[in-house]
Formats: sequence, structure tokens, C-alpha cells
Amino acid sequence: MAVPGNYYFAIIGHHDNPMFEMEFAPANKEPKKEDHRHLNQFIAHAALDLVDESMWTTSNMYLRLVDKFNEWFVSAFVTAGRVRFICLHDVKNDDGIKNFFMEMYETYIKHSMNPFYEPNSPIKSPAFDKKAHFYGRKYLTG
Amino acid sequence: MAEEAVFDFIHMEAVSYVFQGGEKVSEDEAVSKLEHMGFATGYRLVERLTRESGRYKDELDIMKYICKDLWVTVYKKQIDNLRTNHQGVYVLHDNRFRLLTHMANGKQYLQYAPRYLAFTCGLVRGCLANLGVTCVVTAEVTHLPACKFQIQVQRG
Repeated sequence: MAVPGNYYFAIIGHHDNPMFEMEFAPANKEPKKEDHRHLNQFIAHAALDLVDESMWTTSNMYLRLVDKFNEWFVSAFVTAGRVRFICLHDVKNDDGIKNFFMEMYETYIKHSMNPFYEPNSPIKSPAFDKKAHFYGRKYLTG
Repeated sequence: MAEEAVFDFIHMEAVSYVFQGGEKVSEDEAVSKLEHMGFATGYRLVERLTRESGRYKDELDIMKYICKDLWVTVYKKQIDNLRTNHQGVYVLHDNRFRLLTHMANGKQYLQYAPRYLAFTCGLVRGCLANLGVTCVVTAEVTHLPACKFQIQVQRG
């Protein structure tokens, strides 16, 4: 697959609230450096303004690269229901990220059919987590 | 999608269920329950239905989506006429609304017709809410089975 890289994926709801977050690291990498989760959240949040701006310029769902911060690239995907999927990554992997977004979109739609799931609330389903892990390994970290 | 009659029957039952209790149930309460059911349905439904149809950049496109794609998916026909004053008011004319066609052809049962439109008003409001348009949807019927849905967009 592509050059292994780190990825941070987040689903943002209508009130700029994170509904789901997940990190992916290359399989062979030594798992322990400090936790950069707070920085990733900050970068993703800062990119939301740019996502909101660029979503009016195109009617595609996949917005490609919207922002760059130090070594992190930010790609975004917006659905018709204005749910935003953000992915921070440090290597270019347009196709992989696009496929990952499409699969997560399908998974999200199926999850939203659950009558116990309140729209715009955090997603706490173990099945959803498993799917996210699976597609992350398949399309992102290889 | 699947057999249309299933939705028709469930809708009929939902209306009669909400009006159970006879005199104790006020018309407004019951109608607003139906409208709320429609809202929750429309909100979730539109996330699923817009998978293939992409995103819409302006309000008029969203209204056209409601008139064409949504109406075809739910009621197997398009809205017959869309009027707007370009200032946030849209009127959708349906000359043969599917949920009213089996009821009457004319003025019979006119007083009961709003009950059968409440769910649809909510459905439209829910769809629009998830697409980013806050609005109020009301319905008017003067001659079954034709009816008009008026959408008033709340701005600011």
C-alpha cells in the first residue's frame, strides 16, 4: 500500500460536536510516543471553518484537501445532511482516504437507522468501532 | 421500494391510534404528535436517501429535491406544481395526494383531511431540517384529493 502514515479520523455533527474519533497508526510502528490526541482535536476543529467555506463551492461530497498544519494535511467529506467527516493525515493518500470516507458514510447511514441512536449524539456502538478499525486497516494503514 | 400499501395502512393506523380516546384527545395535540413522528422520520430518512444525489448548494435546489426525488420515493409521483415568492415561502401543489385518493373526490370528509396530512408536513419539515433549512410546514386542502403544502423558511 501507500507509505505508512498516521491518521486521525473524526465525525463532526451539526453543532460542531465530535460524534466519533479514531486514530490509525502504521502496524509496524512502535506504539508509544506521547499522545497527540489534544493537538489533533485542535487541528480538526480549526479546519472546520475552511470545510464550511469550501462546502458551498462544490456539490461533491469529497472535498479533498482543505487545510494544512505543520506536517498534517486535513481532508474532508461532507454529506447532504451536513455531517462532516474529517481526516488528518501526514502522507498523501487521496484514493485511500476517499474510499475510507465512502465506507464510513455507508456505515454511518446504517447506524443512523438504529432507533436508539439520537442524531448528532456520540456514537458508542462496538460494531461501528469494529467497522472503523477494519476499513482503516484496509484503506489507510494497509 | 417495497409494496406501497404497507405504508398506507400503517399511516392510517397511526392516525386512528393517535385519535383514540375520543373526546379527551384534543385535535391539536393529536395532530402535533403525528407531525412530530413525521419530523423524526424525515430527519433520519433524508440522510439515507441523499446518498446518491449529492449535496445542494441553494435553497431552491433543496426544494426541487423535495418536490421530485423525495415525493417520488415516498409517494411514487412528483409534486405537480411548485410556487415561490423568492422570499422564503414555497407552495407545493399535489393534485392527487396518494394518502387522500382513496378517501373521497370532492368535499366529503374535508374536515378530517388535515389529520392525514400532518405526518407528511412533519416529514417535509424533518427532511428540510437535516438539510439545513429551518421552516414551518402547513397543509391546506379544499378539494380532495388535491392539497397544498406551504413551506415558510425561518431566516435569521
